Amino acid sequence: MAAAIETKKLTKTYKSRALGKINVVNELDLHVEEGEIFGFLGPNGAGKTTTIKMLLGIIYPTFGEGYVLGREIGDMEVHRKISYLPERPYYYEHLTGYELLRFYDSLFGNHDAEKCQELLRRVNLAGDASKTINQYSKGMQQRIGLAQSLLNDPRLLFLDEPTGGLDPIAHREIRDLILSFRDEGRTVFISSHELSEVELICDRVAIIHKGEIARQGKLTELLKGGRIEITISGVPDTLAKQLATGGVLHQVADGYLLDMPEDEDVNAVVDAVRNASGKIVSMVPRKKRLEDLFVETVRAAKPSEAKITQEVAV
Amino acid sequence: MTAIWAIASSTLGEAIRRKVLLVILLIALLLLSIIPALSVLSARSEMSAMISTIYFVIRFTSALIAIILTIYMIPNEIERRTIYTILCKPVQRWQFLLGKYLGAILALALMMGIMTALALIMFYWRRPDVVKLAEVAKQPVLYFVEMSLLTAVAIFFSTFVAPLVNFFITTGLWLVGTVLNPLYDSFASNPQTGPIMKVMAKIITSILPNFANYDVKNPILHPGVVIQNEASYYLTTVGYGFMYIAILLLAGIVIFDRREV
Amino acid sequence: MAKSKNLLLGIAAVLLVGQAFINVDYLHPRWSKEYSMGKQGGLASGLGADQAFLELLGFREFLAGMLWVRGDTFFENGNYDAVLPIIRLVTMLDPKNVDVFGTGMWHIGYNFTDEDQRSDRRYLPTALALGKEGAQQNKETYELYYEEAWLWYHKIDDDYPQAVRWLKDATSKPDIPPARRNLLRNAYERNGQPDEALKYMYELQAKAKADYDLDPSRQTQADYGTLTSNIDTTVVRLVQRGNMAKANGGYDQGDYDTKPPFNVGFSAKVTVLEPKVLLVEGTWNVLPVGTRVRVVLRDKDMKDAIPGGADWDKMATSVQLDPPRDLTFMQDQLFVRNMHFSRRIDMSKDPTMYPFAKDNYIIEFYYNPRSAPPHMQDKFGWNGEGMTDTNFLRTDVRPGGQRIMYTSLDISRDQILQRGKWSNLTTVLKTKNYKETGGASGADDDVIMVPSLRSTTSPSAATTVPPGGATNSKG
Repeated sequence: MAAAIETKKLTKTYKSRALGKINVVNELDLHVEEGEIFGFLGPNGAGKTTTIKMLLGIIYPTFGEGYVLGREIGDMEVHRKISYLPERPYYYEHLTGYELLRFYDSLFGNHDAEKCQELLRRVNLAGDASKTINQYSKGMQQRIGLAQSLLNDPRLLFLDEPTGGLDPIAHREIRDLILSFRDEGRTVFISSHELSEVELICDRVAIIHKGEIARQGKLTELLKGGRIEITISGVPDTLAKQLATGGVLHQVADGYLLDMPEDEDVNAVVDAVRNASGKIVSMVPRKKRLEDLFVETVRAAKPSEAKITQEVAV
Repeated sequence: MTAIWAIASSTLGEAIRRKVLLVILLIALLLLSIIPALSVLSARSEMSAMISTIYFVIRFTSALIAIILTIYMIPNEIERRTIYTILCKPVQRWQFLLGKYLGAILALALMMGIMTALALIMFYWRRPDVVKLAEVAKQPVLYFVEMSLLTAVAIFFSTFVAPLVNFFITTGLWLVGTVLNPLYDSFASNPQTGPIMKVMAKIITSILPNFANYDVKNPILHPGVVIQNEASYYLTTVGYGFMYIAILLLAGIVIFDRREV
Repeated sequence: MAKSKNLLLGIAAVLLVGQAFINVDYLHPRWSKEYSMGKQGGLASGLGADQAFLELLGFREFLAGMLWVRGDTFFENGNYDAVLPIIRLVTMLDPKNVDVFGTGMWHIGYNFTDEDQRSDRRYLPTALALGKEGAQQNKETYELYYEEAWLWYHKIDDDYPQAVRWLKDATSKPDIPPARRNLLRNAYERNGQPDEALKYMYELQAKAKADYDLDPSRQTQADYGTLTSNIDTTVVRLVQRGNMAKANGGYDQGDYDTKPPFNVGFSAKVTVLEPKVLLVEGTWNVLPVGTRVRVVLRDKDMKDAIPGGADWDKMATSVQLDPPRDLTFMQDQLFVRNMHFSRRIDMSKDPTMYPFAKDNYIIEFYYNPRSAPPHMQDKFGWNGEGMTDTNFLRTDVRPGGQRIMYTSLDISRDQILQRGKWSNLTTVLKTKNYKETGGASGADDDVIMVPSLRSTTSPSAATTVPPGGATNSKG
């Protein structure tokens, strides 16, 4: 499959009077496949929005290159095939939901009333089409945002914190919509720091920290390395120590806690305990969560040259 | 062109809902509607006092509306991130800028139209004379060109300075621009002015936008003043305005194109 | 992008040069010539930059209007001093405001008065200068020419060539109402040119006739009728006063009202009653009511003074908000009844108007038949042919040999203030011929009802309707 997004050493440097030059995004190499939901993760101020703006051609890279759908970033043709939902945008509040869609549609040079109605139905706002945006709830605003981002039937969607500040029900509605995009063969690029959401829907992720890519890959691969905790009692110390070769052994009140990688041969441990007339008190699988990966990554990342953690507003 | 028009009409829609602007407009309309009552102040020069007061209210209010409307237009789009949803569409920045400008002009035309209509009704009520009414209606047309130029000044500066700074720059340029002619004339005719100062004054009057040219109320207020070939003056001021607007928009486009938003 | 950017900037640069040429070579000069409001007349073009600033914002008339409203409240409160700068500012801001000029002239000329309603004539040059400026700024209308003429005709009341001059300008403007044209005829008569007056009236009559033929309305009929009766009056006077006969060389033979000249027998006595309080008494051998002898008390060395007055036109060079504060110039009228006059002139209550800053003063008595009411003129004639005075007839104090009664008495400041060696003495000044008649003058003279100026000078109502607020006029 062709790459939907490809960047090579993409860099954005801002000049600050107090701090000199700051690389908000530093030599970023991103690779997003077509048709996948890609999670672009990082703490606030890591450079997520700056990266997206560069990919959209709203701001210009200081250095490096980037390609979106096979074309250099900033190419107007690409804008016909992509769409962008910024983080907490304000739409023209005097417009109704329907008028808002007509407005954005006309930016493409289109006047397709039918399509606008259909999109309103799709995001479940058909009943609120004649309300103005300032009467919409946050969830409704985010849904009308998604609807406008679908106007051009985009092959690639950039969603910046799409579920930010929404209640659980709204979360779910948005999540379902995003999943449906993948079913339609669209590429979705989600920037977020809400890991539980991303974990549920993303195929691949990249973790950006202080302007640099810390991890990038398939979620299934990145989350490999879960552990299993087995509490045993009534076994001799020697056996316990022998069983612990693949993991870590902790002494607990009534026996031992064996912490071992999930891909170790658990059956062999169980058999050995049984054979020694020991007792398995509990066996708890500890799956690796994206959060663990994230914390792990952010902690492990070497202190970057960038000393600033807040994005520099211009 | 569709995109420009769409942006213009959404800008218009927003502008006519801005509370500040509506309040200013409302105050102006109130003033205009009490002008006939004010005019008792001098029985016979009532006509010229009334007309000049009408003109003053229209010009001052229009300038205020034009400046306040325009200085926040682009910064607001950026702050509210609406601009991203537009620029990620196949919309060029120059289209965005032109659309915004056009929208501002439309809003201004609408508001000035309302003020002028009310003023003319008031005038006609005091003096039902269609010929004089047509005469009085000429000045607001040139005021509109003036305000279009003022809007272009404001939008040019809004591509690179903050709204508050822009307010002072644009207001300052307008105030200076409205007195450019008499200021230069009194300066140039002053025997104490040195030759270097005169050249400087000439350069300044050549560069700054000249708003004074749009003040043509003298023959309207004073029927004794007769102007030869008035049409050519009117056409030239309009043409001058268009030229200057083009300069500001072109420069604004060049700056805005590289602007980090 | 770099390429198209340069192109855009190139176009902008070309346009920048283009707009500069259009502005500097065409728009700006045309604007300054035709649309600038400060350049129409001579005086107001001297506006400062700050006033020009207001002008351009359109503030000018607006501010002028607002100021004028404010001035109105000062008028109502009688705070006349505060009105003066407002008038000046308003006329500078809005030099086309004919009303403010007109009202301002009247206000300055008539409203500054002392406790006895004598007006402060030190302001007259200012009123005249304001009128001149207003007329300059508003050449298209008759109004300020007429107002200026009215000041000469009615207020200054003896320099009739000026009144004729300004009225000629006023009547040349097409917007002057027919009734106001008639004042020129009165001015001609008072200027000793009854022939001109008659000629002018025939012109007006022909015009009125044409207007009537064109539009036989009540108004045109009335205009024509008024003119015809005025012509009758003048013709009768020309005949009776002997002017016709003079023109034909038959004056010596005939019996005319002006023959022989009547001796008015003027004498006067001035007594200083209290500091700055004078009693002026005297004789005037004319029995009918209607004589007013002018009395002037002024600095003896006053610049631009002429017998019985001053060269007001020479003094009216610019609009001065402040009159000459150290000048003392009092002018009053002595009303004659039963061939006597007696008037107490109290200058003690208005020290700013009568500062008495100089050492020497002069008291003048002046009577010019040209200002006399018609029934007196019937005897004296327009030029005083029918008047004489044994002691004080003068033909050298006014141009053209006008026969005028004039005399003067010197008085010092110490005498007026009863200071120095005069502190215990009573100053009494008399003309040589003054005779004490005993009881002929007294306090009872003060109760004489004196006919007002307007009703006594009017040959017909239409000719003397005062403009604007002249009804407020006092002595």
